[in-house]
Amino acid sequence: MKDRTISARSGMVSRRTLMMGATAGLAAVAMPRVLRAQDKPTLVTSIRSLSNPYHAVWKTGAEAYAKAVGLEHVTLVSEGNSEKGIADIKAMLAKTGGNMVLNSDPNDTPDARPIVEACAKAGAYVVTQWNKPPDLHPKDFNPNYVSHIEFDGISSGKTIAEILFKTIGGKGGIVALGGLISTTAAIERKKGLDAALAANPDIKLLDFQVANWKSTEAFDLMGNLLTRFGDDIKGIWAANDDMGSGALEALRAENLAGKVPIVGVDGIKTAVDAVRTGEFACTVTSDPFWQGGMGLAIGYNAKIGKFDPTKEPPEHREFYGKAVLISHDNVEEYYKTNVEAQPTVDWNDLWGRVTGAIRT
Amino acid sequence: MGSGFLTIDTEPLKSVSDIERTTLMTLFPGRIAALFGGRRWRSLAPLAVLIALCVLISIANPNFIELRNLVRVANSAAVPLTLAMGLTFIILMGSIDLSVEGTLSVAAMVVVLLAANDSNGNDYGWLAVLAAIAAGTAMGLVSGLAQTVLRIPSFMATLGMWFIGLGLSVYMLGGSAIRLNDASIRELALARLLGLPLAVWVAAGAFLLAAIIQYYTKLGRHILAIGGDEDVAKLSGVNVTRVRIAAFALAGFFFGIAGVLAAAQLGQSHAVIGDGRLFAAVTAVVVGGTALTGGEGGVVNTLIGVLIVTVLANGMILLGISPYIQQTVQGLMIIAAVALSLDRVRLRIVK
Repeated sequence: MKDRTISARSGMVSRRTLMMGATAGLAAVAMPRVLRAQDKPTLVTSIRSLSNPYHAVWKTGAEAYAKAVGLEHVTLVSEGNSEKGIADIKAMLAKTGGNMVLNSDPNDTPDARPIVEACAKAGAYVVTQWNKPPDLHPKDFNPNYVSHIEFDGISSGKTIAEILFKTIGGKGGIVALGGLISTTAAIERKKGLDAALAANPDIKLLDFQVANWKSTEAFDLMGNLLTRFGDDIKGIWAANDDMGSGALEALRAENLAGKVPIVGVDGIKTAVDAVRTGEFACTVTSDPFWQGGMGLAIGYNAKIGKFDPTKEPPEHREFYGKAVLISHDNVEEYYKTNVEAQPTVDWNDLWGRVTGAIRT
Repeated sequence: MGSGFLTIDTEPLKSVSDIERTTLMTLFPGRIAALFGGRRWRSLAPLAVLIALCVLISIANPNFIELRNLVRVANSAAVPLTLAMGLTFIILMGSIDLSVEGTLSVAAMVVVLLAANDSNGNDYGWLAVLAAIAAGTAMGLVSGLAQTVLRIPSFMATLGMWFIGLGLSVYMLGGSAIRLNDASIRELALARLLGLPLAVWVAAGAFLLAAIIQYYTKLGRHILAIGGDEDVAKLSGVNVTRVRIAAFALAGFFFGIAGVLAAAQLGQSHAVIGDGRLFAAVTAVVVGGTALTGGEGGVVNTLIGVLIVTVLANGMILLGISPYIQQTVQGLMIIAAVALSLDRVRLRIVK
C-alpha cells in the first residue's frame, strides 16, 4: 500500500525531484549489506484473498505471531492471480533486500517454484503451505526453503465420516456433498469418505453430489436430494463447512435441522456454532490461526539460527500438520479458547503438530 | 397484447423480419418451426420444452410431481427468478448487466449488518431490508449513470460495479461469514403461507411487478423499443438516457430484493454469496427466449426460462445423473432451448 502511494505521488512531482529521489533510492540499495543485516527482518504473509473466513483467520494468526516477537508484518493478497502473487513477493524481496521471512499459501501449485527460487536467490527464508509441485523439495534449496506444510485430506474426510457413522448408529443412508471436482482437497476428502464407507458396510451412500464448495449450491442441491431420498437420509457428509451450512439451512426450511446430523471440514464459525447446537456432529480444522503464525515462526527460527534446516529430519521439512477435531465433546472448550478469545498457541513448539512426512 | 402474456412481442422487429431471406442458414429448427406454424409456435417453444422436461422427469421418477417437491422447486427458483426479472429488462434493451453478483452481495451484506447479527449490535429489523433494497437500487443507478453520462458500454460499466460491490462486501464483512439472527427476516425463508415459503411469494410478487412494468407502463415499452432499434426509438421521441438509467436502477432494485432473499435463505451473508448467480440468471433469461441482441422476449419468457433451469437441476438429481456430467447436460439444454426459441433464419449476423 505504501509503495502505491509513493509511486502515485511521484507521478506528480517535477523531474528534478524525481531524479533526486531516484538517486537517494540508489544510494539506499548500494548501502553495505552489513548494515542491513542488523535490521530486523520483515515477516511476510502471502495468501489468496481476504474474502474468505479461512484466510482472514490465517492473517490474524500471522499478526499475533508478529506481535509476539515484535517484528513488522506485511500481508500480500494475490486475489487468485498467480502473476500478482509472485510479483508482489518479488517486490517485497527487493524492498527488504532479502531480509524477510515468507509464509506463503501459493495460489496455484506451479507458483511455489518461482516463489521459492526468488526467495533463495535473495537470501530470504520461506515456508510454503498446501500447494507445491511434487518434484519441488525444501532440501534442494538449503537453507532458505525451510518447510512445506499440508494437511491430509484423506484423514480429514475419513475422520468426519467415522464420526457421522457413529452418530447415526452405524447403519442407514447418507448423502455426500463434494467440492470442486478437480481440486486436490476435494479428491482426497472423498477418498477418505470412500475408505470409511468400505469399513462400514451397513452405511449406504445414497448419492454423491458436487456443490463446488459453496453453501448456495449445497442449499439447492440438498432440497433436491430430500425429494429423491426423503427420510432415508440419516446423515450428511460435506467436504467443507460452507456446503454443510447450506445443507443445514435446506434442512431447516423443512423442519429437519438437528434431526439429520451433518459433518464438515474447516471449522468455520457457523459450523462451530452448529456443533454447539447439535445440528453438526463435528467439523475438523487445519487451524488457519496456527498455519498463519507457525509458518512464520518456523521460517523466523531458521533465519535467526535457532535450528539448522539442513540438520532437520525429512518429516520436519515436508509434513502433514495435525488437524483439530471439533465435536460435541470439546466444542464448548474450543469455543471459549478459539472463538470468544484469541487462541493461544505456543509459538516455540515448532514441530508439535507434525503427524508425518507427506506421501509421495 | 391482446393475445395474452404468453406471446412474445415481436412488433419492434417486424420491420427487419418481414424481409424474408433464404440462405444457407435455413437449418432444421427453422424448418421444424415452419411446419408447425412458424413464429407463433416458436414463441411457445420454451413452454413446450418446460412441459416436456416435466413429463419426462415425472415418468422417470414420479416423486417429481409430489407437492413437496414442487414446493422445493419453487423455493429454489425464488432467488434466480427475482434476479432474472431485473436482468430481463437490461437484456431486452440490448445491454448486459454483469453487476448481478456484486449488487446481490452488497444487498445481502447491508441487510445482515443492519439487522440483528452476530458481529455488531445493530437491530433495525425490516428497515434493514429497505436499506438493502435501496442499496441495490443505488448500485443500479450508478451503473446507469456510468453508462449514459460517462458513455461507458454497459458491459464495462457493470463489470466495474460488480467488482466495486464485491470489494465493498469483502471490506464490510471483514472476509468472514456473518449470521443473520433477525427471526422475522429469516421467516422469509422458513415461514410458509398456503404451503409455500414466503420467499416464493416475494418472488411471485417480483414477477407480477415486472410484468406490469413491461406490459402496462411507458418505461416497459420504451425499454423494448430501445432494444428493437435505438435510433428509431430516439427519433420517435423516447428519452433514451432517462430510460436507460431507470432500467438499470430497476434491475438493481430486483437484485436488492434477491440479495435479501438469499441472505434469509442461507441465514448468513458472506462476500461470495452471489457466486455463480450471474451465469445462472443470464442462462435463464436466454433459455426463456429473450434475445441477447435485445428487443425480443420479456419477463414471461424469463419465468419459463428460470423454471426450465431449476426443473432441470432438480430433475438431474432425481434421475441420479452423475455430477461429473451434469454440467454437460446443462450446456446441451441451453443450446437446444435457444436453437428452438429463436428464429435463426431471420438473423442477419451471428456474432
